[in-house]
Amino acid sequence: MANDADQNVTVENPTESESAVEVKEETAEMIDEPIVSKLIEEPASDTVEAKAKKVARQRVKVSKGEIKRQAILLILSVWFVNYGLIFYYLPLGGWIMAFQNFKLKKTFFDSLFSARFVGLKKFHFMFEFDVLKDAIHETGNIFQALKVWIDNVMFIRTLRNTLGMGILNLVTTFVMAILFAILLNEVKNKLGKKLVQTISYLPHFLSWIIVTAIIRDTLSSTGIINDLLRLFHVIDAEETYNFFMKPLWFWPIVAFANVWKETGWNAIIYLAAITAIDPCLYEAADIDGAGRIAKMRFITLPGIAPTIIILLVMNIGNVLNAGFEIQYLLGNGIIQKVSQTIDIYVLQWGISKSDFSLGTAAGMFKSAVSILLIVICNQIVKKTGHGSLF
Amino acid sequence: MKMKKFIALGMAGMLSAAALVGCDKGNPGTVDPVDPVDPVDPGKQVVAPEDIIDFTMFATMEGTELNPNNEIQEIIAQKTGVRVKETWLTNQDAGEAIGALMASGDLPDFIDAGNKFNDMYAAGLLVAWDPYLEQYPNLKEMYTDAVWEQFRMADGKIYWANVFNNTYGASKATGHNDEAFWIQVRVLEEAGYPDIKTLDEYFDLIEDYYAKHPTFTNPSGEEVPIIPYTVQSADWRYFGLENPPQFLDGYPNDGSVIVERGTGKVVDYNTTPTAKAYFQKLNEEYNKKIIDSEFATQDWDTYIQKLSKGQVLGICDQNWDFNYDVQPALKDAGLDALGCEYVPLGLTMPGVTENRWHTYGDTLNNSSGCAVTINCSDPDRAFKFLSDIMEQEIHDLRFWGVEGVDYLVDEDGMYYRTQEMRDKQNNQAYRASHMCPYSYMPQWLGTSRDGKNAMQPAEQGSEFTASFSEPLRACFEAYNANGYPDFIGSVQEDNEPWFPMWSYSNTMSQTTYPEDDPDGNFKAGDDWPAAIAWIKMGDCKHEWLPKVVTAKDFDAEWEKYMKAYEACKPEDFLADMQNEVNKRIEAAK
Repeated sequence: MANDADQNVTVENPTESESAVEVKEETAEMIDEPIVSKLIEEPASDTVEAKAKKVARQRVKVSKGEIKRQAILLILSVWFVNYGLIFYYLPLGGWIMAFQNFKLKKTFFDSLFSARFVGLKKFHFMFEFDVLKDAIHETGNIFQALKVWIDNVMFIRTLRNTLGMGILNLVTTFVMAILFAILLNEVKNKLGKKLVQTISYLPHFLSWIIVTAIIRDTLSSTGIINDLLRLFHVIDAEETYNFFMKPLWFWPIVAFANVWKETGWNAIIYLAAITAIDPCLYEAADIDGAGRIAKMRFITLPGIAPTIIILLVMNIGNVLNAGFEIQYLLGNGIIQKVSQTIDIYVLQWGISKSDFSLGTAAGMFKSAVSILLIVICNQIVKKTGHGSLF
Repeated sequence: MKMKKFIALGMAGMLSAAALVGCDKGNPGTVDPVDPVDPVDPGKQVVAPEDIIDFTMFATMEGTELNPNNEIQEIIAQKTGVRVKETWLTNQDAGEAIGALMASGDLPDFIDAGNKFNDMYAAGLLVAWDPYLEQYPNLKEMYTDAVWEQFRMADGKIYWANVFNNTYGASKATGHNDEAFWIQVRVLEEAGYPDIKTLDEYFDLIEDYYAKHPTFTNPSGEEVPIIPYTVQSADWRYFGLENPPQFLDGYPNDGSVIVERGTGKVVDYNTTPTAKAYFQKLNEEYNKKIIDSEFATQDWDTYIQKLSKGQVLGICDQNWDFNYDVQPALKDAGLDALGCEYVPLGLTMPGVTENRWHTYGDTLNNSSGCAVTINCSDPDRAFKFLSDIMEQEIHDLRFWGVEGVDYLVDEDGMYYRTQEMRDKQNNQAYRASHMCPYSYMPQWLGTSRDGKNAMQPAEQGSEFTASFSEPLRACFEAYNANGYPDFIGSVQEDNEPWFPMWSYSNTMSQTTYPEDDPDGNFKAGDDWPAAIAWIKMGDCKHEWLPKVVTAKDFDAEWEKYMKAYEACKPEDFLADMQNEVNKRIEAAK
């Protein structure tokens, strides 16, 4: 028992270090208490949070003495503030291009100041609301009209594809990483566990061009999948099932590639969170007669819940970054309607067709939606009381 | 003691760094100007290594980079004082590559921007040729004044010159560099060299051969499966799938539309009855498993690999798009002896008597070429280099190689190669380390300035037949052909004044007008409906043509395709093309 308590202290989350001493005392007290359920109802983090709030309330007043005392910190922070301004906020000035008829000239400022303002024309070009209006008029049904809109307007289609693939990727990689981490945690053999963990995150270091080549090869007419299909007589011996000509397959292939590449890597953070769970909780559960599944369900999962929530909020902001390389490299003419994402749209119409204004407009729209998504998600999480990003 | 060593080390390091900097690029301001090369005999001039300047070039084409210290590149550098590092497209399309270069401002010294030249011109990123044209007669000599006029932009200056399809003196052409339905020699041989005139005959021939030979054994003893027919449908190289309807109706390669002879009326070849019949035929063949099941998803590299293995019996493609890579590869692998080389066929619809697959005479593409960018530190030297490499001696070095090593001269002054030399030329590793054609810079076809030899070895009469494999020779004899165009039998006539229309539609790679309308109908930067329609039509065809070809129910799929196609507003595009035809007719008067 005493050994366990020591171990517990060493794996304390570093962010809680300021109150580590108190936590240590607390947990030491708690160990004496036999009721497990009470422990779970009052996790140590609650008290830490309350503490943090108290600290925040006691704001330090800005005075000469205080400035002097923090002089070094202030000087150091100047660099980072400037870094942020120059590399994150200054480039946003380029968004003005979205409302201009921007043409490249010899220098950037030449082009910026010689361009004519065209208002929201680029956005009109992207959305083609007329098509939607006409469709509503014709069909009288908003859903059918939306379908017509998606079918006929390229940007709307890329938006649908981006959201679709983004959500599919998010759900699959997210669930797989958690599942993988929890299952790996149950492996008793240390060598096996380390081996699996190492191998599983290696694909993360492959570039997409390699991954897509592997996928193309696997799914090609002479690849293993088609060989298997032939072997089990799913298709005739002469036939080939061409996965890249079937629009329905594209999203699952992309999701699978993401899962294959990122599961091991994403699981690392959950594995770390799991090691931070107090082992005596498991022992107590053992005493209460909990089985493996019950321990996963009632101890491991709640234990990493805060980590899951934070990562979820962060990843939802990334949903619209559903990818560029994989869709670009795996896509082709036939399935372009389901394969093109907003990033490909920006490349095709912005860079390739030299319509930088259109590219900027599309990029801007993407950022706006991302911010919206992340704020909504954060509010929801805040309401559920699991701690939020901001 | 230790300290001294450190200092010495540091000094040595700095010195070598300085030396490296000295090698890099070179600052033309501090380097002594090279003595002007005597234009009559540039051979005498040898430039000291430290005076050699390094330029860069980017061309919007897939290509093979030369090895560093390429032998002929060094010889040319010593004679002209300029070494050019060429880079090529890799797995992108031209628009993306040039767009990214422009946006980053990191331009090479020389550029072939393909169909993005209008953008570069509008952005003011190119150096005008005009002053240098007067200064360097070799450049001026490339075209007549009337043709130079066609390169002139709205501001009255010339910014690029096309380097291809330009004949010096008498034409020596024996090749067919254009599009055709190509077929392997062995297929013709087996059928007893029949006359093939229509699509039906062509596919019957392929089917018969494939039925008898589903596989073949290559020279290394492997059993290779045969793919009866394949075609590219990826990116801009999908013309072999997309534009045969114009040829099948007997029209030349205007590329984006048919223009009726005599009347000058623009017709859309995508919607003609011939187009439907052609795609229906492809659909039929696909369902018979004659067409490659992966044609719709393969990229260019995969396509070239298949051809180079000799496993594809027939294709529809431009000669320049595959044969420069495929023929040497076939020869290198010994597949030429098995009859895997291709000859072109001039197919038409039944009832169409004339075909125009082969274009006699030079085709001028005034929308692209070779240009010098404003990033070039010394434009004068760049243009001088372009002029120097057109000197006969350098030109021979570029295309023939080194005398005694790559070719020999007989007592009549005719250049020729031994079999060993030809074999070396077919070896890609040798070409990369030895040959330096600067293939996207100004060059000549036709007859050399000595009045006897061909400017480029491929056009040398003796070389042309001497390099033949046995099956190819037999095939030429059977059809009594002297050159590839004889297989096609196109009509020989003067090109129409508007030909080729693709030089105009190729400029529609942007959504807005590149410059103001002289009549004041639109301003630069306004939406260009024709170009928007053209881009959408391209996307639509990329999606639907493979769908139509692979469909189970052709008619239903064709209906859907036509509906999607109409939604792209092709009429906007056609109206603009008609306008351009009228302008060109007017200009030719």
